[in-house]
Amino acid sequence: MKTRPLIFIFLLFACLFVKGQNKQLLYDFSDIPQSLLMNPATDVDFKWFGGLPMLSGQSFYFGSSGVSVYDLLANDGVDFNTKVRERVLNSMKISDELSGNFQTEILNFGWRGKNNNNFYSLGVYLEGDAIGYWFKDYALLAFDGNADTFRRFDLGHLKTRGGVVAVYHFGVNKRISNELLLGARAKIYSSIVDFSSTQNKGYLQNTVGENNLLRTTLDADLEMRTSGLNVLRAAEEEELASLITKRALFGGDLGVGFDFGLTHQINDQLVFTASLLDLGFIYHSSDPKNWTINGSASSEGVEIILPADLLNPDEDFYQRLIDGIEELAPFEENLDSYFAFRPTKLNASIRYNFGEQIEREIDCNCGPYATANSAPPKYANGIGAQLYAINRPRGPQTALTAFYSRRIGKLGAIKTTYTVDKFSQTNVGLGVNVQAGPVNMYFMADNLFAYQNALDTNYVSFQLGLNIISWGSKQ
Amino acid sequence: MKSFAVIYAIAASLVFFSCTEPVDSAQVEDLSVTPTLEASLLFVEASENVINSSTDTNVFSNEFNFDAFSNELFAERVIDGSITYVITNTTSKDLEIEVEFLDATLNLIDTEFFNIQAAPSTVIKREIFYGPSGRNLDIIRNLTEIRVTAVNLSGTTSTSIENDPLIKLQSSAKFRVRVR
Repeated sequence: MKTRPLIFIFLLFACLFVKGQNKQLLYDFSDIPQSLLMNPATDVDFKWFGGLPMLSGQSFYFGSSGVSVYDLLANDGVDFNTKVRERVLNSMKISDELSGNFQTEILNFGWRGKNNNNFYSLGVYLEGDAIGYWFKDYALLAFDGNADTFRRFDLGHLKTRGGVVAVYHFGVNKRISNELLLGARAKIYSSIVDFSSTQNKGYLQNTVGENNLLRTTLDADLEMRTSGLNVLRAAEEEELASLITKRALFGGDLGVGFDFGLTHQINDQLVFTASLLDLGFIYHSSDPKNWTINGSASSEGVEIILPADLLNPDEDFYQRLIDGIEELAPFEENLDSYFAFRPTKLNASIRYNFGEQIEREIDCNCGPYATANSAPPKYANGIGAQLYAINRPRGPQTALTAFYSRRIGKLGAIKTTYTVDKFSQTNVGLGVNVQAGPVNMYFMADNLFAYQNALDTNYVSFQLGLNIISWGSKQ
Repeated sequence: MKSFAVIYAIAASLVFFSCTEPVDSAQVEDLSVTPTLEASLLFVEASENVINSSTDTNVFSNEFNFDAFSNELFAERVIDGSITYVITNTTSKDLEIEVEFLDATLNLIDTEFFNIQAAPSTVIKREIFYGPSGRNLDIIRNLTEIRVTAVNLSGTTSTSIENDPLIKLQSSAKFRVRVR
């Protein structure tokens, strides 16, 4: 099969670059136009679609893998400081994270080309994404200090990044054969604000001194990069909105990116899909401001060794100490431009379709009664598994999903998922897509069991949208 | 448009059936962050040669600027703590060492006196506490100069049999501060 090497190359490529929100309910939900943003090669039947501006696609996710709001704020009579000590300081690991993502579609529409095998889509959406890992050693230093311990406080525990970006995109979805659909999407990013501090190294440690009782060593290679924060902070309140709009309309930092996808019909009922999203970068040059501490310095306090120091009895020994530290490990500020790579995501799925065959809406010689199919058949039921991975500052973060989907005539479809990831082992989600004539509406929510006590959850996610869809008329 | 009613019903029921156990967000006000920070403070070392070459009984007397503690970032947050002194004498001299703390107008605000016997003598270790269970914490808050004076009580002719004989004063400070 000619497509197998393609799949292999795709996956190999994906594994190399794998770095948002897991939208396992939306992924491969081909009745919903927004599924094209999850995989530009989604097997859609639309003639055209148009999203309702600002309403066509809304998604939100919040995840906290270490502790929930309820863990800390429960009215349980336990002293708050004890809870912080036991549930945060003593329990959370450096791989635990606090992360969030939102996406708001501003425009999104698509149309089928003169060649029925091609489908085009374009639009604009606003996306905000941030992640911060648990900075354990910084927290221990802040809460306990460095007294009576020779602990080496790892300064590399500071890992965070985030930003808000407007994304302009144009995608092509092309059926290559009955078995293969390929898709690609080009993106231009217009970054409004960005911050990152992900490559930190170093430590702070007390050891037994060579001369004095203690030797305190700071060995640091720390950097915080920002862009857009300064102009927004300096802006007057009344000009803030126009400044944000300007930065979203190519007046901020620009970047490019690509999405790639495929849908491969292994046989009549078995389908493999994969997509690689946001393979790109942004060059931050419009308003960069960065802070660094780079160097190594040790101190044993003010040191006076006689007779050498008798030569300069009036010397300010304390100032000499401070100057020495600042020279060896300077805290500096710069305005250097920088590249930031987008958090690249990988999705893949294997789906087994079964049950009654249903007619495809696309204008094709296909469907249950066709004599020679030019597109694969569709079935009422689908069951399968999905893999999601995103490149994060501490390496790829993955999720595995099992799903079942069911079409309910022309009324719509549902999809239910069970997902295992670092946030939850009991994440059951439900997505509902409703079609009323040309009007399409969907609503999806994850981690449904968490709604028993919403504050005790480590993960909340939902998506919803409103579209107008036309399938055209079949020949 | 009944379909929309269905989806709104689902969304509404999700919100309706989602529950939250009672929480008390005012607890956050109780958060107390009081790390104890520790570092070396002052190190003074003089060899026996220096003592013997001094024409005065005052081997050494000098004032050092030291305004780390009076910096308002520290002074306004310090709760309590201690300063530890360790004095080691391997010279043949009986010595007196005085560590004096001075404020910004050079008023004497604290003194620590050490009477040190000639080698072989034991190492002197002394921890001075400041705060509710010790000396007045204002001493630390106002400290801007440290004066160290070393007096030789044994003349300038004796020599120690120790290898590289010297007198050294080591010290470290350990203070608890309120971050929140």
